[in-house]
Amino acid sequence: MNASLRVTPHDTYEVHEIQAPGGTVVDEYVSASGTVFAVTWHGQFPPPMEQILGTYFQQYSTALQTRPKMYGHRPLNIQEQGLVVQTAGHMRAHFGRAYDPNLLPPGLTVSEIQ
Amino acid sequence: MNRQELFVRAFFLSILLIALGFAAGCGGSVATGTTSSGGTTSPGSGSGSGNGSNVLALAVNGGPEAATGFVYQNAAFASATICAPGSTSNCVTIDNLLVDTGSTGLRIFASEVASLNLPAITATNGSGAYDCISFVDNSYLWGPVERADVTLGGETASGLPVQVISSANTGVPSSCSNGSTENDNSVELLGANGILGVGNEPSDCFFNGGSACDPSSGLSTPPSPAYYTCSGTKCSPAFIAAADQVANPVALFPTDNNGVIVELPSASSSAASLSGSLVFGIGTESNNQLPSSATVFTLACDAFTTVFGGQTFGVTDTATCAGPYSFIDSGSNGLFFPNVTNIPECSSNIAQGELDGFYCPTTTETLSATMEGEDGASHATSFSVGNADTLLLSAGTASDAVQPTMAGMNPVGYGFDWGLPFFYGVNVYSSIDGQRVPSGAPAAPWWAY
Repeated sequence: MNASLRVTPHDTYEVHEIQAPGGTVVDEYVSASGTVFAVTWHGQFPPPMEQILGTYFQQYSTALQTRPKMYGHRPLNIQEQGLVVQTAGHMRAHFGRAYDPNLLPPGLTVSEIQ
Repeated sequence: MNRQELFVRAFFLSILLIALGFAAGCGGSVATGTTSSGGTTSPGSGSGSGNGSNVLALAVNGGPEAATGFVYQNAAFASATICAPGSTSNCVTIDNLLVDTGSTGLRIFASEVASLNLPAITATNGSGAYDCISFVDNSYLWGPVERADVTLGGETASGLPVQVISSANTGVPSSCSNGSTENDNSVELLGANGILGVGNEPSDCFFNGGSACDPSSGLSTPPSPAYYTCSGTKCSPAFIAAADQVANPVALFPTDNNGVIVELPSASSSAASLSGSLVFGIGTESNNQLPSSATVFTLACDAFTTVFGGQTFGVTDTATCAGPYSFIDSGSNGLFFPNVTNIPECSSNIAQGELDGFYCPTTTETLSATMEGEDGASHATSFSVGNADTLLLSAGTASDAVQPTMAGMNPVGYGFDWGLPFFYGVNVYSSIDGQRVPSGAPAAPWWAY
């Protein structure tokens, strides 16, 4: 993906904003030690999940497969040890966040990860 | 994997085996007659002047899989007649299409239209175009874009680009599947015979006044997952002319083409089924006038604002479409909103599926919220949240297609999704970006009720 468009500093982390092809905005949350502990996105198209999840991608893919089936596409709410992936929106209007709860800087609340 | 998950998976697999045991051609209920699931293409109640009926019957009936025990709750279904371009005899009628005001375009299974030999549409590089569309849970649909004449009620969209969903599970590019193995390429998996997207845009890549999928967008590479061309089994993102993108059938009608009205009767409690209408056009016929009493909500990013629980869920940046924004969507089968009032959440998995994510208050709660358009118009509404476990487990309501109090979570920090329960008893008007609106109404897109 393209280089960071914008870096927004916070007390214990920075947010690096990147744009995926097609305009989807991806925000990477980077701790003081340089670890990406969360990613959020919004746009017409979902971001490339393998690229943004990296080593967490396989866990994500497996979690999708073990979701029992029910008609009606509903927001994702994967809550696992070491990985949370949530989505909202509808076709061509995608929002989501993914984070490792074990890596959140102290004091950060989930609602800040948007 | 715990026993409950195995049980649900085994139950679902057993349903698939039963489906396979039926005669070939069950990939879609291709009905040349009528079925009990409702939705016919003959003129319904309400008359349009001129070329024929602008009314399409709607049925909230649980969908084509209800008979096998898998009810699709809070989903409105309708029929379409699809013909090879220019033909009035080489046609099929497909019922039980999910009517979705939150998406754009007609998406049907390849097996349903195989006999029509619909012509392929090419991308700008000259190869056959494929469309990939992702749902909110990252499940997806994949298949070629083809041209058809599509009749809904008495209105016909000629030469309409449609997505023909491929039955193949191989050859889907990884940028489309994107980590999901849920390719909803059968009736059993989708719960419908296709999707009829009649939302706020004229085509499925058009947004904020332009189309990222069109080469004139100025993007150096085509967006993905969107349109592709394939060489053998290798498929790559491709640009496609705006006029060739999967299109909103309503926008291509010769008249009554500026929007739709979803008219469903009220439902205060669960019911087996109900019937209503999808009316085409706003302010173009005697049966589709916008009442002066209606509140018109102008949109940004095809979205608006909901104020609920003391918090505001709207667009915070109209340029990037950021923000916990809200929307009305007949294709969502419940009300989905963040849990800011601490409603108890369901924890159980039941045979019908995963209920984690729905709300389970001990008694039904009545709540209220205010919808706001971008120009400040506002309207308060109340809604009820029932216990999803009780609704789907109690013998009296478990198989009801109409579940007005079914509601679930949107994750914290996201907005309010007003799904089909909102539509019961409320005529919802939805106008199409770029189309002419009645005089006095703001420029499209907007919603009104």
